[in-house]
Amino acid sequence: MAELSTLDLTPGGQTAHVWQGGDPLSPTLLFLHPVTGIPRWGGALEQLAQDFRVIAPYQPGWGPAKDDLPGVRDGLDLVLFNVDLLSTLQAGPAHVVGVSIGGWIGAEIAAIRPDAVQSLTLVNPLGIWSEQHQGEDIFAQHPGQPSAVLFSDPAKRAELLMADRDQLDAYVEELLDLRASAKFLWPIPDTGVGRRLVRIDTRTLVVTSDADQIVAGQLGDIWRSAIPGAQSVEINGSGHLADLEAPEALAEIVRDFALEGVTA
Amino acid sequence: MKFHWFNLMPWPHLPDDFRETNRSVWVDVDSRLYDPVEGHRVYNEYLDQLEYAASLGFDGIGVNEHHQNAYGMMPSPQIMAASLTRRTKDVTLLLLGQSIALYNPPTRVAEEMAMLDVMSGGRLVAGFPVGTSMDDNFCFGSNPATLRDKYRENHDLIRRAWEDPEVFSWNGEFNKIRYVNIWPRPIQKPPPVWIPGGGSVETWDFCAEMGYNYSYLSFNGYVRGEALMQGFWNRLGELGVEFNPFQGAFAQQIVVAETDDQAEQMYTEHMQYFFDKCLHVYPGFADAPGYRTENTIRAGLRAGGAQGLGIAHTLTWDDWVREGYIVAGSPDSVAEQIEALATKLQVGHLVSLLHVGNMPDDKARASTKLFAEQVMPRVKHIWEDYEDHWSPKPIGSQDVATPAPVYSGAN
Repeated sequence: MAELSTLDLTPGGQTAHVWQGGDPLSPTLLFLHPVTGIPRWGGALEQLAQDFRVIAPYQPGWGPAKDDLPGVRDGLDLVLFNVDLLSTLQAGPAHVVGVSIGGWIGAEIAAIRPDAVQSLTLVNPLGIWSEQHQGEDIFAQHPGQPSAVLFSDPAKRAELLMADRDQLDAYVEELLDLRASAKFLWPIPDTGVGRRLVRIDTRTLVVTSDADQIVAGQLGDIWRSAIPGAQSVEINGSGHLADLEAPEALAEIVRDFALEGVTA
Repeated sequence: MKFHWFNLMPWPHLPDDFRETNRSVWVDVDSRLYDPVEGHRVYNEYLDQLEYAASLGFDGIGVNEHHQNAYGMMPSPQIMAASLTRRTKDVTLLLLGQSIALYNPPTRVAEEMAMLDVMSGGRLVAGFPVGTSMDDNFCFGSNPATLRDKYRENHDLIRRAWEDPEVFSWNGEFNKIRYVNIWPRPIQKPPPVWIPGGGSVETWDFCAEMGYNYSYLSFNGYVRGEALMQGFWNRLGELGVEFNPFQGAFAQQIVVAETDDQAEQMYTEHMQYFFDKCLHVYPGFADAPGYRTENTIRAGLRAGGAQGLGIAHTLTWDDWVREGYIVAGSPDSVAEQIEALATKLQVGHLVSLLHVGNMPDDKARASTKLFAEQVMPRVKHIWEDYEDHWSPKPIGSQDVATPAPVYSGAN
């Protein structure tokens, strides 16, 4: 079973709120959550924990770390946070899996600290802008159900994001998670990471979802072609949040790629 | 009680099927609906109306700021206010306001407001709203996650730029300026600051802390505004601030005719235009993530969410009057409603929206004249026992410059 704990990181001194699950002796996997954070232990995290020691921090500003947002200004601060976390946990190089905004953070870590990354899987990554493939604006949605557009079917929001939680708290957290995302992606999700992708020399897989209304498949091609040697694969029947909508399929893809070097 | 004439400056020619053919009056409204030549006429008509109101004895005339908006065509309130400085004499220029978080550097705002205060002889009220999510986040691209921090820093910088006689450096999170030393400096030290707001708890505390006027700008009307204004007064009381009605302002749509029936006949179509077309805002632009603080979100959820504007266009004239969306009718009826408004809201300043929707000039003037001559004299006495610390203190008449006559040719 997984555990949510609070750690003080060295040398940065920040506080991290981290889910950890799986066998501590299994290969380490750093999971970088999407714009909606981590609603609960479950989904792809639970699946991945069968094969990996899963480390899944809330990035500063998300979930229980909501008040830490002012302390981070840009992608470099997020890279340092995650590198410090791995260092504090003495976790060594990790298989890094980033979904949505987590894909951007994962790519930055691989570009800046390649020694910390054993393999890189980017799932529906945000952070590169294309005029031709803009997708829906995640920040211009109906305030009553702001994350509905992230699912292949809007009704899945209630089931996969909000269920089994206090509805008021879950809604406030949903808005605050999107606020944290906006800090880095507003008003256009162009973080400049595209200029740094050429530095990535880690084995990389770009995963897209065929029903993602935010990151079009063509945008996945732009990521893949910008990262030397990267491969790509598509998940069927999932929207932007593949970790929630297609947990088994995503975990299988990650397992095959990270541990076996196989791409479906 | 003090009365400020205000015109949102709507585009008056939105088509009948506007709601069906446009998802929003704001942000991504179809620009092809705007005709610049007709716009020239409309701007001049609206500015004439503001000057007309000044001549009728209103305490203030007001301008504001909106962007990419077909119901509010003043992207720059400073430009509008500047045009009003020359043909008005003693009326307050209520600049309500400038979204100060949007400007980089904000010393530009300090400069322009100082210019206005000097040009007008010290008649400026400086409005510092956070601004709407539509304007700030979606039209100007300002980051909602940092908007309020930036607002506060920009506020502090503007105030210091007005008041610190020394050259100073500013090493902020959002502004880095090695030499701050604005010219000109405002006449008023400083101009009275009003904070237009829509119910944010933090804004109330800010007004209490700084001693600013809080202006509730809503189109929901005074009946629905009561709970919110009472929240403001209660908060001031909790913080130990002595009650003074002039620390509060409220915006209210008002239409006056000779009789109640005549008011309904004259103005229904223009109110309908406003509620139906001008308030047709796509909800996805109303509240970018981070625009509201967690406290304000939770307070809103406890209060059951915002109700009212979404249905206003489906209501009838009688509903609008009964529920206070509009103050309307004969001078007697309007005076009674103003008294009720003052009692409920306890505000000393009324931002009087006397031009509404696509109202033509003759109706706007008729309504304005009746209000000035037959309503204001009957309700001005309200709150006369309180001293107004939130109105400008202009220079004396002996120092007021008069524009020279325009040279009309060699003959």
